[in-house]
Amino acid sequence: MRPTDLSRRQFLATAAALGVIATVRPIGQAQAAMMPSPVGQDAGWFADGKLRYRRDGMAKVTGSKVFAVDMRARDLDGWPDEQSHAMTIHIPRADRVYEGLDLSVLEADGLMPDLLIDAARAEADGLHMPDPDFYGEFFLKPGTLPPMLGQPVAIGIWHDYERFRAARSLIRFNEGIFRFGAEAEQPARAPYGAAQYVRVGGDDPRGEDVFSPMKDLVVWPSTSPAGVAWPGPDDPAFGAAIGHSQAIRDGIENPPQGITVFKRHYSSQSIEHCTMEPENGNGWYDAATGTLHVIGATQSPYSAAAHILHLVQSSRFGLNKLDFVTGYTVGYGQKEHQSFPNYVALAALYGDGRPVRLVLDRWQHFQFALKRHPFETDLSISVDAEGRFQAFICDMIGDGGGVMNFSPSVGTVAVTAAQSVYYFPKSDLKAEVHPSIGVTAGSMRGYGTLQSMAATEMLVDEIADEIGRDPIALRRLNVIGSGMKNTQGAVPSGQMRIDEILALAEQEPLWTDRASRKAEYEAANPGMLYGVGFGSVQKDFGTGAEAAVVSLEISPEGRLSMRHVASEIGAGATTAQMLVTEPFLGRPADEVEFSVQNWPQMPLETEDQPYTTSQEDEDRLAQNPHWVPRFTSPRSASNSAYYFTHATQQAAQLLLRLGLWKAALSIWGGGPAGGQMLPEPVRVEDARWQDGMLTARSLEPLSLERLAARAHRDGLVTGVCVHTFNRWAWTEADFDLDGDRFSAVIDALSVKWGDGATAAQKSRMTDGGFAFIPRSAVRYPPVQRNNAGTVYYAPCATMVELAVSSGSGEVTILSHKTWLECGTQIVPELVSGQLEGGVAMGIGHALYEELPPGADGPGNGTWNFSRYHLPRASEVAVWTQQGHVLPALSDNDPPKGMAEVVMIPVAAACANAIAAATGHRFNRFPISADRIQEVL
Amino acid sequence: MAIQKISFSATINGQKVGPMDLPEDLMAVELLQEYLNLTGTRLTCGQGVCRACTIIVEGENGPRTVPACITGISWLNGRSIRTIEGIAGKDGDGKPVPSAVQQAFLEHFAFQCSYCTPGFVNAGTVLVETLERAPIPAAQVEARILDALDANICRCTGYVRYYQALRDVILNTPGLTTDDAQETALNTAEKA
Repeated sequence: MRPTDLSRRQFLATAAALGVIATVRPIGQAQAAMMPSPVGQDAGWFADGKLRYRRDGMAKVTGSKVFAVDMRARDLDGWPDEQSHAMTIHIPRADRVYEGLDLSVLEADGLMPDLLIDAARAEADGLHMPDPDFYGEFFLKPGTLPPMLGQPVAIGIWHDYERFRAARSLIRFNEGIFRFGAEAEQPARAPYGAAQYVRVGGDDPRGEDVFSPMKDLVVWPSTSPAGVAWPGPDDPAFGAAIGHSQAIRDGIENPPQGITVFKRHYSSQSIEHCTMEPENGNGWYDAATGTLHVIGATQSPYSAAAHILHLVQSSRFGLNKLDFVTGYTVGYGQKEHQSFPNYVALAALYGDGRPVRLVLDRWQHFQFALKRHPFETDLSISVDAEGRFQAFICDMIGDGGGVMNFSPSVGTVAVTAAQSVYYFPKSDLKAEVHPSIGVTAGSMRGYGTLQSMAATEMLVDEIADEIGRDPIALRRLNVIGSGMKNTQGAVPSGQMRIDEILALAEQEPLWTDRASRKAEYEAANPGMLYGVGFGSVQKDFGTGAEAAVVSLEISPEGRLSMRHVASEIGAGATTAQMLVTEPFLGRPADEVEFSVQNWPQMPLETEDQPYTTSQEDEDRLAQNPHWVPRFTSPRSASNSAYYFTHATQQAAQLLLRLGLWKAALSIWGGGPAGGQMLPEPVRVEDARWQDGMLTARSLEPLSLERLAARAHRDGLVTGVCVHTFNRWAWTEADFDLDGDRFSAVIDALSVKWGDGATAAQKSRMTDGGFAFIPRSAVRYPPVQRNNAGTVYYAPCATMVELAVSSGSGEVTILSHKTWLECGTQIVPELVSGQLEGGVAMGIGHALYEELPPGADGPGNGTWNFSRYHLPRASEVAVWTQQGHVLPALSDNDPPKGMAEVVMIPVAAACANAIAAATGHRFNRFPISADRIQEVL
Repeated sequence: MAIQKISFSATINGQKVGPMDLPEDLMAVELLQEYLNLTGTRLTCGQGVCRACTIIVEGENGPRTVPACITGISWLNGRSIRTIEGIAGKDGDGKPVPSAVQQAFLEHFAFQCSYCTPGFVNAGTVLVETLERAPIPAAQVEARILDALDANICRCTGYVRYYQALRDVILNTPGLTTDDAQETALNTAEKA
């Protein structure tokens, strides 16, 4: 299960229950009231039928206000110009009882905050953190032991910038402002989550399993401060799974003749995601109207807004309206279901009529923003005499930091990815994630899979060495094939193409010549140790409950307008979605609105419980044609390329089939004798777009403008709005549109007829100008597919050539090459940009980046880029790297989410290359120069 | 300790600014963002490491880059400064006309989230203007770009497209390299 986001419906229902008018909107829309939005004003991005640059490119390259952090009160229409400034104050240690705050250092110069919000004040005003188990409490109370480093104790507000900055300089790094009491031990806390996935395959990897999570169940043990209570073989619910688990583990401990077992321990560190845009927001509470305006930087706007509603609901502050605005883009990867927007809203309530801006400086961002989970991982693989893998055990223990957040699902996603690219006849995977005094860990790029798959790739490389096999050849011997089961017992979608990548890598001169190159390099560079390493993985994409909404409309003049739930986090989703219409409608969308949160065209209902609704309940609920399991998904999990594209394609296909194709038939078949079409057996399957014109077989090519004019004249369908849902398979539904019966891979549909619509049709267009078409039947994927973990994979491999200084231990990456398969590339430049960036991030994880646990960790407020090393261009082989993307299987091979997978194989490849260079295997990331030097 | 102030004046993007009474320890990025609403200069580390806040300061020996987060206004007082807002020109309708560096970044899809982009634009601009005065052999361009921009951190892109874009600008702009145009074109073709 991946991150969830509240749907718009649920959000509005929450607002309605509270008697509050609530809106969530993107910043471009907010700015439009006062100034031109910086994005969308430039038309030069697409010209002469070609994409020239990103749609948002001109705004971004000229430094326009595209981030939430760029906004000040004076930038927003209707806000007062005076900007107040707020500062969170974070506790830097967790070994002593906190007795209170002493800001007397500010008194002499008149720098005391104009207002201080602490636990007592928030409590007195009825302000409580929404869902505190997930987000933690707002403020540490005096007299208590801090549960984590970095927990806020207060927010100060200054009404002028100069006093604010002067006060900040006295407070920053000043531990004297905290009064501490006695030393104390942290009390035991229950683990955040634990799960176990046991699979025993049948004789045929593509046949029936003996036992698997997909066929049977996932083991969910109980937890308490004493730890995880793993069930025994007699457990009434989980006994069968535990019995199989014990058999697998017995086989590992006591391998039969001819079977060799390899067991290793791996450590993966905590890292800072380092989104360059810090946590920030700006809020204005207008007490006279009871309106709270908030600008937030978040990848999950609905949840942020809904939590703010709950936050204010029980307080003394009246609330009639919440206006939550998101940035056009967001420094991504670290702002998924974080608590920070709640602090922004809280501060705004105390602004005394002034807008309040709250921004973490980089030390505070290290101190409080979400981190990547460190994991301690034990792996075991048993191998037969032929080199074939027999059984796989993976036990992962993660550190979730001070607050639960998404730790439970990060643990399960991590461990279910551990199989990497291999088929294992038997597997037993366990994950636990525990609390600590560290900064809270949450949803990061890779979502736990970097930690697990890199370890597997390091072990497989070592096994190859041990049994005398070529590492890539060993991978090919054990690679998962199409139709084979994953460790959850689910069959991955489509053809598994990782072996194509392995076959290419095996022939790479860098690989085939590595022995001679090592000899030559080391002879030419005394003191340097040369090595080539390889890693290959396949990464899931999506959350198992992916929903999207898209509408497309064509004007009488042939202008194509798109509205889409997709928002921009930097990866280029908005540019890509505009281009997706081209194969179906002849060109990209002419006009577009992204991050659309208001969908009157799609009157749907949902409980937004896609993971926990029973089959019986879902079957009952689905009889209501307005019901869907979820309305929209957050921006995460590499979900736009595949899932959002599907929705856009469905809308485009239906607009063609229901409207423009009929307009074409009307034109081609015009005239008393059946026109030019009569001699040709034309079907919609014959539709082709050539140079922006619709043709079929030998029929006259028609421009979109001409088709649109005819569609409007005849009252044909000129607008389509679709909703889609995927639970590791797509939902299909049947529709009857005025006698035209058809099925589509969607679960809800609304249409709009053109200007010539009949009176009856016009009377039906009451849903935001559209007519909702109730489905006559729907086929949702069974809820059991929640156990699949994933079925959608993007494969990727990286080969690294590096040199290690035998004196200093420093690693120099000489070159690297990455192979990727991601179906059809919508925008190849964006794909390769993601690839290059992911590889750099993986290099940072492998070689440089590390945050220590405990008292020296980032929660102590002393961490910044001066001591946290992000890889520079000179450290990622910027001039000597290559990327190779496999061609799509066909012209309708769907695009795959690839933004996460590209980060992972390079980490293992670096480790394996260092082993090849030094003869020593490092099982702890990062493999820093110091650690190498210790061994050499 | 009362807040000490100085009278500050400068030329920013060709326009006179000041005199203004400002805290003497104010950093350039604060001046730009909080007093002048020029938020394209982005603050990240606040310690001069990441160079997201790179701005251009004109000097007798040509332009130079400085990190605005640790460059005090007392040092900038009286100087001429360029920020990202002053790099592109404007056409007759007031729409931006990107510089050669900006255009190359656009066409190479060089950036993603773009938070660091203004810093790369400014660092690249100074490199180009430096080469206008002191061209180098084409064979040295890649090393020179690395030397000039290596301090600029980007978390999204892996740097490749920024660097390739800048290489294209330098190799295809007459006078930036000492090789003649034909040789430069040959070199480029060989690399491709």
